Amino acid sequence: MPSFAPGLWENLSHDIHYIWPHILLMVSGLLMLWPLDTWLLPWTKAEKHKWAIPTMAILVVSLVLSIYTPNGLGFSAMYKVDGLAKGFQVLCILASIFAVMLSQKVLGALVEHTAEYYALILFATSGMLFMCGAVDLVTIYFSIELMALCIYILVAYLRQQERGIEAGMKYFLLGAFSSGIMLFGISLLFAATGGITTNLTELNQKLAVVSQDKSLLVYSGVLMVLVGLCFKVAAVPFHMWSPDVYDGAPTPITAWLATAPKAASLAVFLRVFGTGFHSISYEWEAPLMLICGASMILGNVAAIKQQSLKRLLAYSSIAHVGYMLLGVLSRDAQAGAQAVWLYMLLYLFMNTGAFAVLIYLQGKNEGERIEDFAGMGKRHPVLAFSMLVFLLSLAGIPPFIGFFGKFYIFLLAVEQGFTTLVVIALLTSAVSAFYYLEVVKQMYFKEPAEGEVEPMDSYSKFLISTACALVLVGTAFGPQLLKWTDDIRWFEKEAPAVVMEFSNK
Amino acid sequence: MSGTAQLMLLATFLPILGGLGLLFVPNEKREVFQKATVAIMVASFLLSVPLWFQYNRGSDAVQFAYVCDWMPSLGVKFSVGMDGISLLLWLLTTFTGPIAALCSWGNIEERWKEYYIWLLVLQTSMLGVFITQDMFLFYIFWEVMLVPMYFLIAIWGGPQKLYAAIKLFLYTLSGSVLMLVAIFAIYFLQHKATGQYDFSIASFQSAQTVQLIASQTKTFQILLTLAFFLAFAIKVPMFPFHTWLPDAHVQAPTAGSVILAGILLKMGTYGFVRFLLPIVPEGTKELMPWFLALALIGVVYGALVAMIQKDMKKLVAYSSVSHLGLCMLGIFAMNPWGMKGAMFQMLNHGVSTPGLFLAVGIVYERRHTRMIADYGGLSKTMPIYATIFMLMTMSSIGLPLLNGFIGEATILMGTFQTWPWVAVAATSGIILGAAYMLWMFQRVMFGPISEVNTKMADLNFREIAYFTPLIIVAVWIGLYPKPFMDIMDKPVAKLVMQVQPDFYKAESLAAKQAEAAKVGMHGMEAQEAPETKEHGTAPAEHASEPKAEVSEAHAAPGGGH
Repeated sequence: MPSFAPGLWENLSHDIHYIWPHILLMVSGLLMLWPLDTWLLPWTKAEKHKWAIPTMAILVVSLVLSIYTPNGLGFSAMYKVDGLAKGFQVLCILASIFAVMLSQKVLGALVEHTAEYYALILFATSGMLFMCGAVDLVTIYFSIELMALCIYILVAYLRQQERGIEAGMKYFLLGAFSSGIMLFGISLLFAATGGITTNLTELNQKLAVVSQDKSLLVYSGVLMVLVGLCFKVAAVPFHMWSPDVYDGAPTPITAWLATAPKAASLAVFLRVFGTGFHSISYEWEAPLMLICGASMILGNVAAIKQQSLKRLLAYSSIAHVGYMLLGVLSRDAQAGAQAVWLYMLLYLFMNTGAFAVLIYLQGKNEGERIEDFAGMGKRHPVLAFSMLVFLLSLAGIPPFIGFFGKFYIFLLAVEQGFTTLVVIALLTSAVSAFYYLEVVKQMYFKEPAEGEVEPMDSYSKFLISTACALVLVGTAFGPQLLKWTDDIRWFEKEAPAVVMEFSNK
Repeated sequence: MSGTAQLMLLATFLPILGGLGLLFVPNEKREVFQKATVAIMVASFLLSVPLWFQYNRGSDAVQFAYVCDWMPSLGVKFSVGMDGISLLLWLLTTFTGPIAALCSWGNIEERWKEYYIWLLVLQTSMLGVFITQDMFLFYIFWEVMLVPMYFLIAIWGGPQKLYAAIKLFLYTLSGSVLMLVAIFAIYFLQHKATGQYDFSIASFQSAQTVQLIASQTKTFQILLTLAFFLAFAIKVPMFPFHTWLPDAHVQAPTAGSVILAGILLKMGTYGFVRFLLPIVPEGTKELMPWFLALALIGVVYGALVAMIQKDMKKLVAYSSVSHLGLCMLGIFAMNPWGMKGAMFQMLNHGVSTPGLFLAVGIVYERRHTRMIADYGGLSKTMPIYATIFMLMTMSSIGLPLLNGFIGEATILMGTFQTWPWVAVAATSGIILGAAYMLWMFQRVMFGPISEVNTKMADLNFREIAYFTPLIIVAVWIGLYPKPFMDIMDKPVAKLVMQVQPDFYKAESLAAKQAEAAKVGMHGMEAQEAPETKEHGTAPAEHASEPKAEVSEAHAAPGGGH
């Protein structure tokens, strides 16, 4: 036993069962980089893009592991496994699985397939898993950095392209800056509460009784943490990077970027504001309301003018974050987490579906601009119909699942008294129908460009139509979805871990 | 599930199921789509007919009810059923379906597969709106309706189709999202009071909920009322929210116009009757002067604008604004006559206006122009067409013995009781209506005939086939409206009870006094009575006693008219 850290090994062996999925992701990512990529791959003469298969397998295993991880608090109360953590972990892993699926060569994704690409996805996913369970400002900060560093590289992956470099650089600079702000905020809070704790539960109690002369310290600390997190989810006015980054990143990474890091960051959001700063909600409610309203308005209004579908989806994802922040605002943190989780789950499916269509068209050189969708109803009926379903679902038109997510989160927000914000949300979602229908208009009402059309391969067809079917009939499974959301909860008792089966309770 | 409920669900969902079946037919088989769609629509209509006979006219309860849990934790149920008001409109929808399908044969020249499937999806979503007894389900059907309509206009419409389609979509969508907030607000208000999460329409309309809303602040009530009002007023459409209508009508293919005029506009008035009045009666009364003014402006303005139109379709579209304004006046009269008249007006408008659109569609198919100036003297070459056009025109302007008269007369009767001067002003709309319709008829049918028009063929068998049911119903309602009256009797009485709990009490009191004095002027006193009623009396205490008086109260004025 090393003497510099007494009890470290006991601690680790006692708590290690909470982080098996994370370890699996990390270790297999490392193994992939070395020695497998240098030794095993040349030996088996497999092509690089075959790395997708083990990556997928590892992600699926970690998905199952994370669902069956027992609940509990570990690592000196810095990491917690509960319904909330598990729920968002599932979303992150699902998003990563989708990203790997979308990166496939058959789909024509413009990605250079190397072991690093997949390993980085695994590392980032592991960072996200830590984010979902982190209950200490320090672990939160570290896990965010773990995720972000991998994403910076992935965003700049098209290194031969100017806009790829630009995207990576922009994301890195702004990301580093915002992390700095957040870290500064954490240290201010640490100081304001007497320099004793960064644990969220304890911080909550300390903040409630902090003396009057420290209130400025607390206020600026909370705001800085808010700014840092808002940057991660690209909420207005900290969204400037997102359209350019989305545009420059490889499209499967864009699809992933719009879902996985956001799911993890929203988990942190819920954790920090639902537990850590819950007692001082009056400090952050007004700024968060402003951010939420501004995201919905600006995201939707700015999307109208976009020429490129990728940018359009980027702006619309800003708006969707605005809707989800309504759940973070909820004074009933538990219910808020449930609504956000449900929305994110549904958004994951419809957004990935829309990106799948986009990636397919890019791969076939049919373009990514909205005009390039002209006549798609004739060229690719299945693709166009799926796209129609995804877009209407994103717009929140029933009976597609997007409506259900909106319905649930808006219902909650009205209950919590944020009626004005809900009115803004609903009106701007009517605006969003306008730009989503712009794409529909091109697909169905415009004549297609001349040229031969390649018939779709079965992989793409299967992928896209499955997603379409899920989105199409999703609302019918409302009861099942609600049962799942029921499990997205904090567990209150710190001690004995009760095994809560996340699926199908 | 009872047999009648099964029949109702089958008739409602048959179109969409048929549409799913048609997905597997290749697009080239135009005839298959045409015939199959008509067959599905006719089957759905035939399935719906028995409910007309099965409906118990002596009860105001929701009949053919079927309820099952959907999302229990939210209080969302799959709850369906109909009362007389919804039954009539539901039957109107199944009745219009085959006509819309049949009239598309000639003018849909491309993409048949998509067209007929969207038509069938639209049919189910419209039927769904009328049978749902749950707010969540209602909202779903209400919104789903927009998507097929958007496609019908945007693909098969006229030159400005894209603009018209997106305008229709956004207008109606922005109206209905506000309604969603209002629904949420009431839902939580209920939950706070009862601890129950319940989305059922019955609980929204229940006396407790209405009482609860009435006990909130005035601002809250007015906002609630406005949220509902906007959603429905856009759909009706009432002045000044009507601007989408002329665009949509003019650009839509004939079947689209038929469905728009026949059914979709009724959604708005149905919404007023089903939701606005029973749920927020106090707020509605608060804003009544404004609503009345808008309805009245609609009547006169719609008629005046219709008069100057050069395009026949646009003329008929503006006539809808005018007619539905009248319908709204009837609803806002908040007495049985006004309400019944409004219901009649909905049915009549659903028969005569589609008829007019079909008639315009026929000449458009032959000459590809809708300008009145391009025609003239058509009665010489197309005598059958002229006769049918004449009948539809007469029905639309409310000639006695045809359906339009019954509605208009009853509405004016009802409105006069509550708002005499409004009724007087509204008469001008009817006079103007006669003017613009007859003027159009005259310019199209009589006068010198130009060279091109002499070659126009008269109606063929298919065209006569889809006019015939419309004419039959028009004459039927005109000559013998009692069966329709019977169906709506009890539900309307219930509605009036919900809106004006004291109405029947006052009216029967007046009737008794009148009888005692042997003076036959009870109507005049009854008209004053509702205005002097007290607000805020618990409806519970009236709940049992006026029921007994309903029949009595009806017997008295009913005999007179």
